[in-house]
Amino acid sequence: MLSKRTQRIKDSLFAKERVVSLERAILYTESFKTSEGEDILIRRAKALKHILENHKIVIDDDDLLVGNRSEFARSGVISPEMSPYWILDELDMFATRDQDKFQISEKDKQYYREKLYPYWAGKSLKDYYNEHVSENVKDAVKTKVIAINQTDKGQGHIIPDYPLLLTNGLQALLDDVNKKHKQEPSNVFYQASKITLEAAIQYISRYASEVHKKIEHCTNETRKQELLVLEQILNKIAYHKPDSFYEAVQLFWLSCVIFQHESNASSISVGRFDQYMYPFYQKEKANTAFIKELLDCLYLKFNSIVAIRSSESAKFFAGFPIGYTLMVGGVDKDGRDASNEFSEYLLQLHKDIQLPQPNLSVRVNETTPYSLLKEAAKTIRLGNGLPQIFNDEANILAYVNRGVDLHDARDYAVVGCVELSIPAKTYGLHDIAMFNLLKCMEITMYENPDGFPTYESFNQAIKDNIAHYIQYMVEGSNTCDIAHKMCAPTPFLSTFIDGCLTKGADVTNGGAKYNFSGVQGIGCPNLSDSLYVVKKAVYEEHKISYQELLTILKNNWQGNEVLRQYFINKYHKYGNDYDEVDLLGADLLSFYGDEVAKYKNARGGIFHPGSYTVSAHIPLGEGVGASADGRKAKEQLADGGLSPMVGRDKNGPSASLKSVSKLDNILNSNGSLLNVKFSPSTLASDTGLDKLVAYLRSFSRLKLQHIQFNVVDKATLLDAQAHPEKHKDLVVRVAGYSAMFVELSKAIQDDIINRSEHTL
Amino acid sequence: MMKEACIFNIQRYSLHDGGGIRSIVFFKGCPFTCPWCCNPESLSMKPQLFYKESLCMNCSKKVNGLCNNDPLDCPTGAKEIIGKWQSVEEVYDVIKRDQAFYETSGGGITLSGGECLLQIDFAIDLLKRCKENHIHTAIESTLALKVDRLAELVQLVDVFLVDFKIMDHQKSKEILNLDVSVMLNNVKWILEHGGHVIARIPLIPQYSATSENIEEMITQLKQLQLKEVHLLPFHQLGESKYKSIQKQYTCHDLKPLREKEVEMIEQRFKKEGFKCVINGN
Repeated sequence: MLSKRTQRIKDSLFAKERVVSLERAILYTESFKTSEGEDILIRRAKALKHILENHKIVIDDDDLLVGNRSEFARSGVISPEMSPYWILDELDMFATRDQDKFQISEKDKQYYREKLYPYWAGKSLKDYYNEHVSENVKDAVKTKVIAINQTDKGQGHIIPDYPLLLTNGLQALLDDVNKKHKQEPSNVFYQASKITLEAAIQYISRYASEVHKKIEHCTNETRKQELLVLEQILNKIAYHKPDSFYEAVQLFWLSCVIFQHESNASSISVGRFDQYMYPFYQKEKANTAFIKELLDCLYLKFNSIVAIRSSESAKFFAGFPIGYTLMVGGVDKDGRDASNEFSEYLLQLHKDIQLPQPNLSVRVNETTPYSLLKEAAKTIRLGNGLPQIFNDEANILAYVNRGVDLHDARDYAVVGCVELSIPAKTYGLHDIAMFNLLKCMEITMYENPDGFPTYESFNQAIKDNIAHYIQYMVEGSNTCDIAHKMCAPTPFLSTFIDGCLTKGADVTNGGAKYNFSGVQGIGCPNLSDSLYVVKKAVYEEHKISYQELLTILKNNWQGNEVLRQYFINKYHKYGNDYDEVDLLGADLLSFYGDEVAKYKNARGGIFHPGSYTVSAHIPLGEGVGASADGRKAKEQLADGGLSPMVGRDKNGPSASLKSVSKLDNILNSNGSLLNVKFSPSTLASDTGLDKLVAYLRSFSRLKLQHIQFNVVDKATLLDAQAHPEKHKDLVVRVAGYSAMFVELSKAIQDDIINRSEHTL
Repeated sequence: MMKEACIFNIQRYSLHDGGGIRSIVFFKGCPFTCPWCCNPESLSMKPQLFYKESLCMNCSKKVNGLCNNDPLDCPTGAKEIIGKWQSVEEVYDVIKRDQAFYETSGGGITLSGGECLLQIDFAIDLLKRCKENHIHTAIESTLALKVDRLAELVQLVDVFLVDFKIMDHQKSKEILNLDVSVMLNNVKWILEHGGHVIARIPLIPQYSATSENIEEMITQLKQLQLKEVHLLPFHQLGESKYKSIQKQYTCHDLKPLREKEVEMIEQRFKKEGFKCVINGN
């Protein structure tokens, strides 16, 4: 149960409508006006300092933990320095658009139009990107073969070195930077890092003074005592390393807030919280009531921050995922099971919270104890799509295959949705681009109206097109990568990424130990299904000619519903454990993976593939005409990334896993995603739960990378769609993250409703 | 030795028929006449036409009001042939695909039907194939027929899920065409030879869920010293299938038991010391 305090905090999160907040943009702009001509690293550091010195600190009467990004919880904090354009376009739409609505006052709109927009027009990251990106890339984006992300927002997708912060404290880190600065005074990164660390210390001290003011006016003796403790803690952790659990959690959260003030980005993720917090937890675990309330407060804080996105971007990332992805379980650096009592406790907390954040994740492997799996299964049964499960048996090898040190690979965690990352050591641009594999088949057919002599030559032509467009995806990603270096370096964040302080370079400038660019291949299930139909119906059975099929597809099956149904029902589909179709997809996904891994990024790292869609299977589907698998024009692509096309998996949840296991999952080192839906009745009994545990063990043994579950019955979802007011608290899995069902657009709600439900 | 059996479904990821995650092999063909049968397509031992009106797109001209399509050409599967003669290897090829799931869950395969023991030679070959590969085996059967190879079966089957339906010999014969004494003798023999038997009791109002029948069952089960029963409450999920094979469904007006009634029967069994599971596990 939540305490009265935490229940009030939870209620307050959703009591008010979300609003757009200009505060950060105003402060950032004020600072930038005074730093014209200086190095961008210094300008960014000074802007952060100005924000930390001036933004409105709010200490609520219920707060045990302090640290707020905006005056009101769940505000949409805009960043015109990234792109002022979409904000201008959408000022009048924020409150009414399909996905991710926010209120904004007329006064704020006017301020934006008259003050903020004119300053940033022509100067933003988006401008840099647009000036430098080639026409070829722009065309490929326009035709929806590729999507380049983060061209108008902060990069994020990283796990800072929280253990470094917690074991040293800010002052010790500042001392270290000061030393480096003295040795190399001309190094701008050290100068910038120093400014941000000093600002962080002052920022925490400012919270202490705010608390002090509260104490002076506090008449409630109990609250006064709480505030006195809090003030003491803040005064200490502003400079020194934390000793108690309370101190550690408070410092952790304040650092999260500072990272957000700096980057304003999705997915500055939590990493292996059950590992680095465990020593603090152990010291105080006897104090169960307090520990529970404090962690509940932290979980609620994770939900106080949302990301505001453009309408277009919100289609791809619907429902404000902010990516406080919190990992438990897994092996330690030496390969031994590292899970502990705290891992299970962190899962148990979700039962009372039942909100989308933190994005709970569990690493499993052959040695994972039954108790942790059972706890995961119980939490999954709650139906909010949490936790998602990651498999050490595949993911460690995936990173070793990319040249990551074995010890580091064993320490992997997850950023954002499902992107694998080595905490504290990686700037991975995990979400830099998406590649629409199915679109390549359509382009190939349109380019070759006369067809191909053999299936093999057709397949090869598709591969040639995939390779061709990968070049543009790489080019666009690298332009975006450089744009972040030129316009949005992150010196505070970089201070907490291994390699940056040694090299004296920001993460955007190749400072990190590991430098990847992660690009997702999407639509592979549809591509496999479509290819299989062409292979059989056109080239083997001669049921229809290539030209006839092309005409039918161009006409979106009009007048050919019988044939469409025949293609849907009479040919095997990916996801049902039929080798002949599964292996077609496996071949293409491997081709895609090997092809992208040939390319280098601007920081000396390599590109590597992933297969997850977030919610991009809907907008990317809108860009593809009818396909031979029976999909109509503009219909969505398969959800998740590796999930079978909606409604096409008929052989049950073991067959789906088997199909996915035939892909070379080790290649997907940037992460992949599989959605599975169970009916609640399947998991109602304890025996049912044990079968889910067994299912997870099989998942591990089959060397899949990721799996997540929706356990809500269709009737509930339909009712929530019809009567949103009755289901305000319904949390469901979208893709690598959970969201409030009623805050999703109808297209995404429909997608979740239609995913096959296994009811055995 | 029979080379092929008529199989109408291999259902993967089944969770209620013998423990763990299982694949159920449904044999076609059954000599019994349970009116509540939820797999009426399992009665005949031959492949047969099955027509699901709800899926029909009316894409062909009807002859005498009936679709004239070859089932192979039916675009939606509205018209299909149920049942296929399959070899042991063909069936095993599907079974082996879920070996990881059997091993992690303590599951395996379950032979069901129809009455799978009508095709016992095939069943024994298939069970052998599974046992060679350390796959747990269960059989769901009435055991109410003369089985020549019972000794072999006991060696190959880990769990016998045996139907206990109507205990009154005469009624059973009349309604189900099922000889209770044959069934009881087989169960006895299996138990004497170390077999593990679980009683599966369909709770059908007016037929098997009468207090008289339940009491008689308890007496018999106690005599046999059986410890575990699965109670399977009556449902009408199979009704549409009767229409699909143009057969009359006689249980349309039979009201399923209320949850409370099921609970009372469960309590009755528990009181007598039986381990009792609703719907099987």
